[in-house]
Amino acid sequence: MNAQTRISRRIIIRSLAIAAALPLVAGCTVGSPGSSSGGNSGEATITLMAGAQDLSDKQIAEFEAANPGIKINLIVTDPTRLNTMLAAGSPPDIVAGGALGSANFNARGLATDLTPFLEKSQVLKEDDLQPVNDGFRWDGSHSGKGPLYGIVKDWSQDASLWYNTALFDKASVPYLSETEPTSYDELLQIAKKLTVADGGTTASYGLGLEWAWTLYGPMSAMVLQQGGNLYNDDLSKIDFTTDQARRAFQWYVDFANAGVGPTSLNPLPDASDFSTFAAGRMAITQDGYWFGGNFATPEALKTVRMAPAPVMGETRANPTYSGQGWWIPEQAKNKDAAWKLMEYYMAGAPAQARASSGWGLPALKSLMAKLPQELPYQKAAYNVAQNELQYAVPLPDSPYITIDLLNTTIDKYLQKAIKNEMSVRDACAALTDELNQALAHGKEQIG
Amino acid sequence: MARKWTRYPKKTFYAFIGPWAIGFVLLTAVPMLYGFLVSLTNFDGSSPRWKWVGLRNYLELFNDGDAWAALGRTMAFTAIVVPLSVAGSLGLALIINRRLRAVGLWRTVFFLPSVVPVVAMAIMWKLVFNKDAGILNAVLGVVGIGPIDWLVDPTVFYSLITVMLWGLGGGMVIMLAALQGVPVELEEAAVVDGAGRWTVLRHVTVPMISPILFFQVITMVIGSLQIFVQPLLLTNSSGIAGAGTVPESNRMYMVQVYQEFFLSNRFGYGSAMLWIFFIIILGLTMVLLRSSRSWVHYEVDTDAEREGATK
Repeated sequence: MNAQTRISRRIIIRSLAIAAALPLVAGCTVGSPGSSSGGNSGEATITLMAGAQDLSDKQIAEFEAANPGIKINLIVTDPTRLNTMLAAGSPPDIVAGGALGSANFNARGLATDLTPFLEKSQVLKEDDLQPVNDGFRWDGSHSGKGPLYGIVKDWSQDASLWYNTALFDKASVPYLSETEPTSYDELLQIAKKLTVADGGTTASYGLGLEWAWTLYGPMSAMVLQQGGNLYNDDLSKIDFTTDQARRAFQWYVDFANAGVGPTSLNPLPDASDFSTFAAGRMAITQDGYWFGGNFATPEALKTVRMAPAPVMGETRANPTYSGQGWWIPEQAKNKDAAWKLMEYYMAGAPAQARASSGWGLPALKSLMAKLPQELPYQKAAYNVAQNELQYAVPLPDSPYITIDLLNTTIDKYLQKAIKNEMSVRDACAALTDELNQALAHGKEQIG
Repeated sequence: MARKWTRYPKKTFYAFIGPWAIGFVLLTAVPMLYGFLVSLTNFDGSSPRWKWVGLRNYLELFNDGDAWAALGRTMAFTAIVVPLSVAGSLGLALIINRRLRAVGLWRTVFFLPSVVPVVAMAIMWKLVFNKDAGILNAVLGVVGIGPIDWLVDPTVFYSLITVMLWGLGGGMVIMLAALQGVPVELEEAAVVDGAGRWTVLRHVTVPMISPILFFQVITMVIGSLQIFVQPLLLTNSSGIAGAGTVPESNRMYMVQVYQEFFLSNRFGYGSAMLWIFFIIILGLTMVLLRSSRSWVHYEVDTDAEREGATK
């Protein structure tokens, strides 16, 4: 081999290396902050990642007409896609997500502090925000206080119950009290009476827990009701081995074994209690005030009622399991335009429509008066919801773990206990170990 | 220094090899190296706060029961699916490779499932397997078998295997091409010598198509080990966070990796899992290649034979 070939090979290898490095460099620049245009220079397209029904086409058109130069590109909520977009440095301009669970995003420095926007806003005012918005606050070590990183669109106390009186009548079960809570043990007994089996299938479920949505929320609330807490003080360690946590875990196992409602081992095809409940095939469902918004149309189920959150101990507690809202990623390109949409959605026509339909409690104090009380069930639900407000408590939100990981890990060990592969005691111990490992990783990352 | 004579200028060689080399470097070598570097960190995929952790992810992986369980499950799945698929597609091809009436129609019918997009296929099978409204339970109901929940543990594993076998047609077409290359006179000679159908198949047909069988085995082993989309789609509902809802019996290695990446936000650990998996697949492929010497027969000289000839 002569010198010339060696040189030309070297040149080729070098050029290949440069070519290889180019996308890496490009990747870095994509990820660098400060490249945002601010959204003031004429045209801007806001990418919004939210639920498919969060913002209707009509509302999008209305907003775009009122704000010439701003276009909305709606992409449907997908945690995986959000992760990749964040990783690529080109996140959506607005992301829908729960106030509970925001601590993790905030601690990782992924969200924008909205305080400067709020101070300048003519529409959204700091003193008009309901306390539920505090779930989006992060002071650098704890959620609940400090700068605001998101705004709740609507919220509910999600441990509340909704039930179908027709199915209660059919099973000759007395209605639930509108002021006094049912105990969880009692609730399971009632659910058994209300469940109607038909051969191998269940014709009608006694109780739905929205298992596919959350397990951390209700279990955490059950522990609070017994005067305990799943977390230690700095939220870096979780403990499912206490008597209170084990009792909550055991209740879920008993619920699954009783076959009175959907679980992850016997799931509903649409992963939500609503359609089954609305079809008259579920007697009770554990859902917040928002659930009533489904029954305002003339053709909807008429025999619905709301009841207070059940209790596992002495203390009444009815927290919100999520508090869905919007936040603006730190690396969003069109923050000013995004804030305009935020103002429209949180205080404008969509917010008023949500409040007056009873789709959750408004996150703004000024909208509380709009809650519907026309129909008998709306009036009754309004009273129950007003009475439950005194039992609203925030759930602990650890910055070191995502809510999704909490839920799937709890589910994993619940399944093992339900299938009798593990005793409840062992499952709780293993669950504690696994979650604490994840928490330790998170703590190491965030510091 | 005298230049060696070459038929074409060197730059022609590089021009031809260039596109592949650039593709390989940019789309394979660099991502792999990047993945290896990420596997040495605790990067979470989005936050700027990460640090080097050395080989800790790899050490943790060796004690990760879930990952090893997933690997075992994936191996078992491969051990079931690959032989069944190869035997099934060969069987179909043998049936089709005869003078049948409307043979074109049969070929199309058997091949059609393998051109259906995987998502459409998953939706269709989810409907078939539906506990309350699925056709499978309806048929079983007729013969007095109560409804079975096909999409939860542990039955969902068998549902997944069924879905995989439904796509046999793709392999069948390749087998068919191979079968048509088998010289008829060889089979006839065997028959004249008194061989039965089975003996002809075993001692003439299969050895003749063994290179194709080998190709099928290798690609299917790699494909089955890396199975990911089907288990993810074949779940009962889309509840608790995507990959987390895949029932345990279908939690294959790649599903576990996906969960580490996008549910636990552990890009570093996930990358370490991928690297180990890469090494395992590489090792397995090498074992298969090695074993092929004793059962794959090429019509042209192979390296081994050539070596033998020169000795």
